[in-house]
Amino acid sequence: MNLEPTLAASPDTASPDTMEAAVPAGKLGVWWFIASEIMVFGGVLASFILLRLTGPDWSGDIEHNNVLLGSINTLVLLTSSFFIVEVLAANRAGDLEKFKKYMVFTIVLGFLFMVIKGAEYTAHIQEGFLPDKSLFWAFYYGMTGLHGLHVLAGIVANISLLVVVSKPGGLARFGHRSEMCGLYWHFVDVVWIFLFPLLYLG
Amino acid sequence: MAAAENHGPKNIVIWAYLVILALVSVFVSFIFPSPADTVVIFGLAIAKATLVLLYFMHLRVENIFIHSLFFVPLALVVVMFFGFMPDLNHWLY
Repeated sequence: MNLEPTLAASPDTASPDTMEAAVPAGKLGVWWFIASEIMVFGGVLASFILLRLTGPDWSGDIEHNNVLLGSINTLVLLTSSFFIVEVLAANRAGDLEKFKKYMVFTIVLGFLFMVIKGAEYTAHIQEGFLPDKSLFWAFYYGMTGLHGLHVLAGIVANISLLVVVSKPGGLARFGHRSEMCGLYWHFVDVVWIFLFPLLYLG
Repeated sequence: MAAAENHGPKNIVIWAYLVILALVSVFVSFIFPSPADTVVIFGLAIAKATLVLLYFMHLRVENIFIHSLFFVPLALVVVMFFGFMPDLNHWLY
């Protein structure tokens, strides 16, 4: 018996296609969370761009960011996004081994992203580029720090799902949560897609 | 909806597009003069985000509830951005 509550489409507004497309409550909850996150990151990114448009010359500060490491981190997150889509596909196919394999890849790449980011932070701090150095560095640490916390939260969520799915009968019972974890992980990827050009290439 | 998600390009193809666009962004930043490069790079970022949203987050096959949860806050951010635009001159001086 399926105990997952769903938000069914209203019969008087739904087409035959959308009638089938009831939204599971967990997925709807994640999208609500993403909606709030769009406001958070959207506000910060908009503030950064608006301040940039006022004309301060941040090119000197941006040059201290390592484009190679930023590019590698971009590829790392894009690849992890691909792997977590494959986790969802493995869940639908009922393939536990593939589920676990791709989820481990996603988690490892998440950790790799954090390690590279940590190396960048270390280099910046050693060079004296702290948040109080200039407005650019305040934005840099604020935006990448907030994003890094989201990556960490995503890693924790993915590890939690991997643990419960690995238990006997776990895939059938908890496998559908891969969609929620995936949506969150992709959103974190989308945020980085905008942070990378603004902080490294702008 | 799962069946609808399976239509279209395979995930690996979308990933390949994303990687190519990311590499082009880096290439453009070294080739194009500023501020033209910023415009092109930001356009490429929007293209990458659109690919992730449509194909990895399956926004192309979602219903109106999910679309509302994505587009309403996005519209509010855009309104806020342009709402503060007139203040730019104030900050300049």
